[in-house]
Amino acid sequence: MATKYDVLINNGLASGSDILKSSKYDTNLGLNMAEDARRLSDGLITEEEFVNKYQESVSKEFNQKLEYQAAVGNDNTGVKWGMVIDLRKCVGCETCTVSCKAENRTPPGVTYNQVFIEEEGTFPNVSRTNIPRPCMHCDRPPCASVCPVRATYKAENGIVVQDSDRCIGCRYCMVACPYGARSFDFGENYDEMLGFEDMQSPEHGMDRGEREDGKSPIGTVRKCNFCFHRLERGEEPACVETCIGDARYFGDLNDPESTVSKLASSSRAFRLKEEYGTEPRVYYLR
Amino acid sequence: MSQSAVSEKCDTNHVSEATLEKRFKLWMAALILAMFAGGGAILYRAIEGLAVTNLSTFVPWGGWVAFYIFFVGLSAGAFLLSTLIFVFGMEQYERVGRFALFTAFICMVVALTFVLLDLGRMDRAFNAMAYWNILSVLSWEVRFYLIYILLLLTELWFAMRIDLIKLSKDRSAGLKSKLANIIRFGSEDTSEKSAKKDHSWMKILGIIGIPIAIIGVHGGTGTLFAAVGAQPYWNTPLFPVIFVVSALVSGTALLIAMYVIQRKVRGKSVDLQMIKSLALLMIFFLIIDLGLEFYEFLVAGLTMKPDKMAVLDVMFTSSMSWSFWGVQLFLGAVIPIYIVFSKRFNQSVKALTVAAILVVIGIIGVRFNIVVPTQVVQSMYGLPEGSYFPNWVEWLSSIGVVAMGLFLYSIGAKLLPLETQEGDVEDYE
Repeated sequence: MATKYDVLINNGLASGSDILKSSKYDTNLGLNMAEDARRLSDGLITEEEFVNKYQESVSKEFNQKLEYQAAVGNDNTGVKWGMVIDLRKCVGCETCTVSCKAENRTPPGVTYNQVFIEEEGTFPNVSRTNIPRPCMHCDRPPCASVCPVRATYKAENGIVVQDSDRCIGCRYCMVACPYGARSFDFGENYDEMLGFEDMQSPEHGMDRGEREDGKSPIGTVRKCNFCFHRLERGEEPACVETCIGDARYFGDLNDPESTVSKLASSSRAFRLKEEYGTEPRVYYLR
Repeated sequence: MSQSAVSEKCDTNHVSEATLEKRFKLWMAALILAMFAGGGAILYRAIEGLAVTNLSTFVPWGGWVAFYIFFVGLSAGAFLLSTLIFVFGMEQYERVGRFALFTAFICMVVALTFVLLDLGRMDRAFNAMAYWNILSVLSWEVRFYLIYILLLLTELWFAMRIDLIKLSKDRSAGLKSKLANIIRFGSEDTSEKSAKKDHSWMKILGIIGIPIAIIGVHGGTGTLFAAVGAQPYWNTPLFPVIFVVSALVSGTALLIAMYVIQRKVRGKSVDLQMIKSLALLMIFFLIIDLGLEFYEFLVAGLTMKPDKMAVLDVMFTSSMSWSFWGVQLFLGAVIPIYIVFSKRFNQSVKALTVAAILVVIGIIGVRFNIVVPTQVVQSMYGLPEGSYFPNWVEWLSSIGVVAMGLFLYSIGAKLLPLETQEGDVEDYE
């Protein structure tokens, strides 16, 4: 089946050299640069090597200077990610839950995001609050302090990382998380979904290929990672982007001018289970 | 020499070698059968992963973890009992000294096997040694367990050394002698002076071992639970203490049962005075244990913290409350205390052994009640209530692992000079 689609796509694709020939610039240079750009994005060569290789020919051909500009425009150094969820805007539609599942391709039983419904009072004096719960990415994460192998830890950008290549699956962190934000991957699949096992989400920017028995992350603990792979592309986490009521805000809590910082310091802001001393990075607006 | 040692002189009801051999073979065959059945379940679990168990994301720790802490407790308890002999010179218990050390070792092997079974990635078990998280109690425990196992083996070796040398010279002993020859590690000296040296070594190792067993191994295992802030039922300073005391209860009970059963099977007489005194010791520990737990529940109940009350509610009134009222309290405490204090029963070795076995079963209940009920109550309002009871894979594999422990123990008891020779019982001071 795959080959059939490959043929269709290849027929539809224009040839690179044909297109480049129609321009007035050097065709070979274009093809070589494209080839190396691919290698650069695969991490086979560094940006520096790329720049050194093409600096001369680019300035000759295009009369432009090729500069080393790692991460310019997408500079995430010094950033500490955080999230604010406005409970007055949340309608409890669970779009975040579903989009998270789709984005991270989580198997049955594994959910990074959930929405809890709290009903209070007796009729007619009732109120209903929807509390979406991603991982809190605590600044003092109990899950990280109990992990015997340091498979889960606090990264500098504020994200509590889960290294599924090191995790031994003892599930101590699941017992220790006060928010129930961790799930164990028992290796189940959505059999009703065609090709569910064919690919996995590139969590933490790591391409894991097919989902196979005995291979990570099966048999390890899994958790929300603020869609780190999306952040690196300059996108917001899936739950933030898809929220129908725009109830979620995402940004740099280190930057006092950011929307999240301002909202987090509002008088409406609170965090879940603050008495545990976990210092969550997810704020709620009541 | 103590009175009890004198009272026992010769075998009262002698059993012939052939019957003994037959009994041993039957016993081993039964164990091998159980190991095969358990091995099948373990293989199934190894291939299919943890999905074949009743564990879930809501109740991530189950029967295997309960058995793991149960066996760590048995081990620590048995070891601490051995220190009564080798460190504190209570030679009235001398007869169980080496058995205590060997039992402690086997129990650790069983406990670690249960931990291994419980890992989502068994192939990465070595990561626990390769990486260290200084804040993680579990990380410390792994190291303490290994140190403790080494210490047990060293102390046991000193306890057996002279008998090993004697055995290695005894050509009629066959395989036993060959094994003794290997594990005496070239030691030759059987003099009075070297025996004194052994005893002082055992005393030193015992003294080092006490804090390792109490703080490191079993108190540490209790801390592993007590340090979890998210589980209010575990998160009390009394918890590690209860762990250690219940270890003493189960360790003493197990040694009584093992000692009596072994002697009876071999048709040898049983030292009633020692059994009575050990049973009293066991009940003494048990009553302290019950007292600590009483205050644990009382304070929790009077504070009326909702999350704690929810756990107590599950323990006392839910469908799994039979484990608390029936197993932990009635079988594991009320009946044994009655047997040991009733004039009708406390002169009978059989009744006291039944009491000891019931106490061991009761402690299994204690361990399950530690692990499971608190997880049934979810940490977040709105998560579905968990439910858990081990399924056949977990039961069968557990039976297999325990059978493995008994198998190793039986082989050890047959091939190693664990039994103290008559006349060897002497002052350790």
